[in-house]
Amino acid sequence: MVVVANWVLCLFFVMNLYSNPIAERGSVLLNGLVDYFLETNSAQALHILSSVREPHDKHLLDKMNECMSKPGCRLPTLTLLGHVVRKQPSWIHKMARYPLLVSLLKCLKTDTDVVVLITGVLVLISLLPMIPQAGKQHLYEFFDIFGRLASWNMKNPGHVSEVYLIHLHASVYSLFHRLYGMYPCNFVSYLRSHYSMKENMETFEEVVKPMLEHVRIHPELVTGTKDHELDPTRWKRFEIHDIVIECAKVSLDPKEASCEEGYATMPEHFCAQLHLRPPDSAASPYTDLHSSYGLYSSCEYNSTCGMKDPLWSPSSLCGMATPPSSRGMSPNPELSQSASHLQNRLQNTPVGGKGTPSSSTPAASSPPPSLSDEFPPISLSQTASPPCKVTYSSSYNSRSVNFTENVDIILYCSSHACFMDSLLSAAITEELQKLTAEQRDQVALCEFDSPFYRTTETLTGAQDQKPFLSQDPCHPHEAVSTPERVEWCGGGSTRCGYSRGLSQEQPWSFQPVFTPIETPGGGSHIPPFQQSPVAPDDEAVKLGLLSPSPCQPPHLPYEALFDLALPRAATLFISKKTSELEVEEREVEGVSVSASPLEVLDQLVQQGSDVHDKLLKRLPLPSKSADWTHFGGSAPLDELQTLRSQLFLLQSQLLFERHKREQHAVRNRRLLRRIINATALEEQNNAMKDQLNLLNVEMLSLRESLVVEQQRSRQLWDDRETLVTRLHSQVRQLQQGRDDYYTKNQELQGKLQECQKRMGEMEAELQKANSKVCHTGHLLNQLTVKLSSSENTQQQMSFLHRQLLLLGEAHRLCMQELQHTGPESGKELEMLRVSSRRESERLKQSLLSQAQKLEVAQQRVAELEAQLSKKEHLIAEQKKFLEDVKLQAKGELSACESRYQAQRRITQALQSELLQLYAHMSVPDGPAQPASREGLDPTPSHSPPNGNASTLSPGQPKGKPSSSCPSSKANSINGSGDGSLPPDTNPTCPALTVGSYPSARSFLGMRARELFRNKSESQCNEFEEDRCASPTPRLTSLSQTLKNELCLEPASRVGGVKPAPTSGPATPPPPPPPPPPPPTPPPSSGTSTPPPPAQVSALLSPAKEAQASTKQRVSTRETPVRGTGGGHKKVPATQVPPRQQQLRIMDYNEAQAES
Amino acid sequence: MAEDPQRNFRSAYYEKVGFRGVEEKKSLEILLKDNPLDLEKLSTFSQRFPLPSMYRLHVWKVLLGILPPHCDSHCLVTRYRAEQYEDVRDALTAMRFAGGATPTTDLHLRMFQLENRQLRRRRELTAEDVDEDFLAISRSMEEIVDDPVDCYWLVKCFVSQFHNKFGDSIPHLPKSLEHFLSQEDPRLLAQLRASGCLAALPYSVWFKRCFAGCLPETSLQRIWDKVISGSCKILVFVAMEILLSYKIKLMGMKPEGAADFLSNIPQDNTDAMVTKAIDLWHKHCGTPMHSV
Repeated sequence: MVVVANWVLCLFFVMNLYSNPIAERGSVLLNGLVDYFLETNSAQALHILSSVREPHDKHLLDKMNECMSKPGCRLPTLTLLGHVVRKQPSWIHKMARYPLLVSLLKCLKTDTDVVVLITGVLVLISLLPMIPQAGKQHLYEFFDIFGRLASWNMKNPGHVSEVYLIHLHASVYSLFHRLYGMYPCNFVSYLRSHYSMKENMETFEEVVKPMLEHVRIHPELVTGTKDHELDPTRWKRFEIHDIVIECAKVSLDPKEASCEEGYATMPEHFCAQLHLRPPDSAASPYTDLHSSYGLYSSCEYNSTCGMKDPLWSPSSLCGMATPPSSRGMSPNPELSQSASHLQNRLQNTPVGGKGTPSSSTPAASSPPPSLSDEFPPISLSQTASPPCKVTYSSSYNSRSVNFTENVDIILYCSSHACFMDSLLSAAITEELQKLTAEQRDQVALCEFDSPFYRTTETLTGAQDQKPFLSQDPCHPHEAVSTPERVEWCGGGSTRCGYSRGLSQEQPWSFQPVFTPIETPGGGSHIPPFQQSPVAPDDEAVKLGLLSPSPCQPPHLPYEALFDLALPRAATLFISKKTSELEVEEREVEGVSVSASPLEVLDQLVQQGSDVHDKLLKRLPLPSKSADWTHFGGSAPLDELQTLRSQLFLLQSQLLFERHKREQHAVRNRRLLRRIINATALEEQNNAMKDQLNLLNVEMLSLRESLVVEQQRSRQLWDDRETLVTRLHSQVRQLQQGRDDYYTKNQELQGKLQECQKRMGEMEAELQKANSKVCHTGHLLNQLTVKLSSSENTQQQMSFLHRQLLLLGEAHRLCMQELQHTGPESGKELEMLRVSSRRESERLKQSLLSQAQKLEVAQQRVAELEAQLSKKEHLIAEQKKFLEDVKLQAKGELSACESRYQAQRRITQALQSELLQLYAHMSVPDGPAQPASREGLDPTPSHSPPNGNASTLSPGQPKGKPSSSCPSSKANSINGSGDGSLPPDTNPTCPALTVGSYPSARSFLGMRARELFRNKSESQCNEFEEDRCASPTPRLTSLSQTLKNELCLEPASRVGGVKPAPTSGPATPPPPPPPPPPPPTPPPSSGTSTPPPPAQVSALLSPAKEAQASTKQRVSTRETPVRGTGGGHKKVPATQVPPRQQQLRIMDYNEAQAES
Repeated sequence: MAEDPQRNFRSAYYEKVGFRGVEEKKSLEILLKDNPLDLEKLSTFSQRFPLPSMYRLHVWKVLLGILPPHCDSHCLVTRYRAEQYEDVRDALTAMRFAGGATPTTDLHLRMFQLENRQLRRRRELTAEDVDEDFLAISRSMEEIVDDPVDCYWLVKCFVSQFHNKFGDSIPHLPKSLEHFLSQEDPRLLAQLRASGCLAALPYSVWFKRCFAGCLPETSLQRIWDKVISGSCKILVFVAMEILLSYKIKLMGMKPEGAADFLSNIPQDNTDAMVTKAIDLWHKHCGTPMHSV
């Protein structure tokens, strides 16, 4: 129950620790866990504490520091610290800064408990390489500790037992090595200063000097200085294991020293010598210790058992016999060395006179060959595996037997196991061998050893009946042979705990054997292995049954290749790897399988101590005392205490050594990696070399072919040369020939040129001759012409000559005749001349006069033309003015029109009103009339005028012509027989429409008169009167004025004959029609000239004007008559223009005549 | 005109500096000095520049054809017009359409109807015969013109000219208002369209009465200047300017309220509005140039 509770607690801690990393809580939990560990020494708690992570380390260390201050807790705290340090957590370098280190140092300087001191020193030694730079502050404290502990041996202030002193000495020895290795200069100077004092001389002689014998001179002593040593940069390039190895390098002690390159041989020799020598207490503290322990143990055993040979010491045996594990890994020379060791050991034991059964076992004689067998390639080891397995199982069996049978032996065994150095596995095998050997003795011995025997009997009573145990004897003890041991050695060296051969062969094969061993032990004592005894059995049986079957790890086909390709180290490495892999596999398989021998050993120690405690408690006091007295020992409690602490010491030392071994292993791995790299590089190198060779060969062949090719080319070259020379000669010949031809050709060409030149010359001559011929021909022609002409002239000359002669003769004759005629002809000639002169004068005068006349006429023409242009201009102006006036009149007229329209509207409205009123008046007439009137309302205007014609203005009918149809309607309606009226209106209508022109004409005339006012004032006055007269009627009505003007117009032209302007509207109609025709033509002919000429003529020459006007009037008079008679007015209009044009021409003529 | 020696040489720059109407009076006087008045020039001038009030009525008369282009016949024509007025009035009085108490506008309406043969008999007179558009224009004209004869003639000619010239284009004016409004302020148009105000705008007041009764006479004169001189587009721009001026108010109104509000616009800021409208009109339709 308690255990379960602890478990739960642990789980709780773990959960809290990992899932809830709150600082405060974590610290509380850690404190609790540390307390728990200090109380119960629980392995789980230890595990948890040693794997604490980064943020919790402070709390852990603080707590541990706190615990360190309590004397009671110091030892477990140191143990815990040792575990933590060996675990090498990542934060371990922080240790140097925490007060825990200080308190540890203080404890080491002040404490008097040897166990505490030894544990502390071991912790310090393993801690030192981890915090090398911390040495700067605490260096002299380290040295002081060393000094104190070194002198302890001599002074022994606590008066502790000898056994502890040996342990202490060993740890001091380790400390010495570490300090010397790490800080040689400082340490040596310390030693120098410290041991130069008188009182320390003895200590030096006794303790320090032998230690100094085991170290070489450190190279740093030569090259380094005190300060350089403490330089932190120096340590930066070192890892922890580097530092450890550095320390081991300077050691000459084979136990302490490493056998690395360079140092390997010397320690070996030394070692060999050492081992050849008889065991010497001064030789090495280890051997010393071992021997002493051996002595002690033997003594003890002697004292306890009394049956043992006092001289036989397993410890010394082990110490001397076991080769260092590192050596196991080293190549052959060391192997032989180890073999010799073994031989030595084997020889030694008989020499020592210890007639142990182990030595007398038949297998014991065989180690050397078997050892040598261990290292050959793995393939060989496979063959040895079946026996291996057997031996192993048997050894374990035997061990289990031991274990179950005798607790004492277990203790013994475990103490041995703890004691074993780095050569753990070998030691185990050794021990097992011993145990198996001893077993037989012990079996016999145990019969006397009643209490223990009994207890073991009781404990393992059930197991005794097991078939396995019963089978046990079947395995011959002879089977515990060296091969098995060797296998164990290999397993130990690879740290996997199993031999290579075994692991490679069949990892499962031993399991059925192994588990039963474990279960009984676990089933009875160890909580983790609490299993029912039956179940494992079944399992074991099952597994045993299953074991031969498939689970064999695959045989890797390329392993052989590896063997060939890689050197031995690589094969070792591979084997190690494979074994590791298999171990992992096995660990995966089950808890029972996972335990390594080391763990088994730890458990063994634990169990041993537990069992011991229990047994002690169970023993009744009297019997206990009796027993102890029976064995002749000292006080049992004391003894037990001593034993326990010794056990504890051994365990801590074992752990320390294991730690050291781990460091070595780490280093080994690194070295191995380097080796592999080196081999790989070597391989590469080889390959490159091969390639180089190949290339060389190729080069050679190429060179040969080159030579051949050169020869061929040379031959070809020669051929070519000959060909070339031949061709050259040919070419030369040909060239010569060509040159000849060339010269010949040139000669010929010269000749040709010459010929050509001659030809040219001749041609030129020819041309010249030709031209000469031509020239002469031409000259000849000329000459012939000249000749003919000269002949001609000669003829003429002769002819003329003749004529001349004739003329001369005639002249002579004439002269004669002239002389005969008289002077009478002169008078007539004179008269003729005068007359002709006069005639010419007259003609001249007439010419002059005519010219003058012409000039006058021209002047007149110009004048007339000017007049014409003036008139034209005037006419244009008048036209423009006419337009203007027309527009003005139109404006006014439109106003009038609108007014008239308004009037019409008014009248219409009034009429409608009137009609309405009538309708009202004659209501009885019936509604038909008004209705009809209303129906005609929009156009009612025509009937009223007819009715009221007299009342209305005379111009009123003007609007009628546009609506003649309505009027007829109106007639029909009104029934007032005015049938004569419509015909009346019709003739007036055109007169009125055309009448507007005369009025305009009158204005025009007015203007014209104004223009020519200077010429006739009187006329103007008349017109003025006319004008004054005209406006008056205008007021009455427009039509009237128009008519008046129409009437006036002809009158004015006639020149004073005025018809009465207000002669009444009724009478004039017949006369007015005639006048319109004359004005109409002008617009049609396009000019308004006719009137002005008439006026001009009237003004200028009244007489002619009168004639013209009478003519005109006659014509006008005639035309209306005709017009009225025929009813056509257009006929006279067309007839008139020619006459008017005639008139105009006449005017011009008259004007000319006048001028 | 620029070459006219009588004009100030600075006149070209006045407008650039912003003084409007400085030279207009002078140029108008020059125009009016021509004996046959050039109607085309006068109308162009009236479209381009605001008319000085002292010449406004004269120009209107000339442009509306009440007075002929010839100055010589003005006296005569004026007399004719007066006589016509008298005749018609007397006729109406005789027919008892009008009495001494009849308001001038009604009298004018009757006269107009008589002259257009639209006057029914007195007994058959109905409310339909009352042309409200004419009455509104007549009322506004009465404010502008003192003389009843002139007033009657102006109203008559204005109305008849307006109907003859723009009778066809008046129905299209709302469309063109929308078009120009979309160019000037599409957002307002969209808002008006969305709220339904667009359909409820007082188009009859604006376009049939030419804003008579809607704007004060001082502003109205300037609009009518343009209408008389031959442009009905100005009505569209005045309407648009009204909308733009009261944009914010209109945005928040319902159609009925908007119609009411627009029919009774506050009379305080109309001059500026009309100025802006004329500017807008010039901007969109271009400044009318002399078509010489």
